[in-house]
Amino acid sequence: MELPHPYLPGAISLLDQLDKRLIVVLRDGRKLVGCLRSIDQFANLILDEVVERTFFDKYYSDIRQGFLLIRGENVVLAGEIDETVDTGLTKISVEEMNRMEEERNERQRKIEQRKTAISAKGKLKEADMDDAY
Amino acid sequence: MVLPLSLLRTAQNHPMLVELKNGETYNGHLQSCDSWMNIHLRDVIFTSKDGDRFFKMAEVYIRGSTVKYLRIPDQVVDLVKQEVAEVRRQQKDAQKQRKQMSRGGGRGGGPGRGAPRGGGGGPPRGGGRGGGH
Amino acid sequence: MLFYSFFKTLVGKEVVVELKNDVCLHGTLHSVDQYLNMTLHDTQVTDPDRFPHLIAVKNAFIRGSVVRYVQLPEDQVDTELLADASRKELLTSKK
Repeated sequence: MELPHPYLPGAISLLDQLDKRLIVVLRDGRKLVGCLRSIDQFANLILDEVVERTFFDKYYSDIRQGFLLIRGENVVLAGEIDETVDTGLTKISVEEMNRMEEERNERQRKIEQRKTAISAKGKLKEADMDDAY
Repeated sequence: MVLPLSLLRTAQNHPMLVELKNGETYNGHLQSCDSWMNIHLRDVIFTSKDGDRFFKMAEVYIRGSTVKYLRIPDQVVDLVKQEVAEVRRQQKDAQKQRKQMSRGGGRGGGPGRGAPRGGGGGPPRGGGRGGGH
Repeated sequence: MLFYSFFKTLVGKEVVVELKNDVCLHGTLHSVDQYLNMTLHDTQVTDPDRFPHLIAVKNAFIRGSVVRYVQLPEDQVDTELLADASRKELLTSKK
């Protein structure tokens, strides 16, 4: 078995990523992008210049968060971002993102309304059909 | 590099935001903390998960295991960095002094070697924790 | 500790890690620790349309507690040896 040298297993291997820009996925689904400044054996992280990144279709937007100390338990994944990769994603403003999310919510509300309307109609029909027997 | 929990300890008496795993946030001054990330805040504003309810509280004690992350204002981070640099400089100076002392007196080697052990790790840490409880 | 030792033998091999949030990451196992936290190098997300935030990620630290499955390279695993080791571990833990 050949292990890389020096072998920094698991959480400590994040020391390799110090001062690099990482994307950290939290257990609540949030994605944070920031510079890794410090780490300990619990994988508690200190991130600097953090933004919370939200995604929608082929778009994303960033909201400034500043300086965060994240408790290790809440981390799902911490990945180094390769800036040279073309993700095919376009950055938009927070306002634009809010507008798109609001539109989607509105569409969903309408679909829900239609569903309940249809099921209500269904019940009416059933009630009317009592006479058919 | 400052370990995450050391940074937290150094940020005592400074304002910060604590978000819990359940999404609630607590905005207040860090009174004290310990190595389990248990946190004692003063002059707190509590915000509910949806951000629709706010309460003022004089004091809050938060169990470390319920914390998602801590957001620390940039100004506080800068202050803490300065403080850490200052403490390290003082420790270096003290070490230098001890070295000079032990070089001066022939038998001074014994106590000289003993002193850094007590002075290096013990008192600052003990003092920080002791102040909390 | 058995699975920790086992995963250490897979360092440098290609694996697919499926997380509890349905993310699937393909990459080279770079390191593993006692909690089965892992780091993958040269990662690729298998469903980039669903997880666009992982497209540009090249190295990833994954917390052991969020892993659902690890797909192993079939030819790199000696199942006989693993079964033997499991039995041995069971015996030693009973003593």
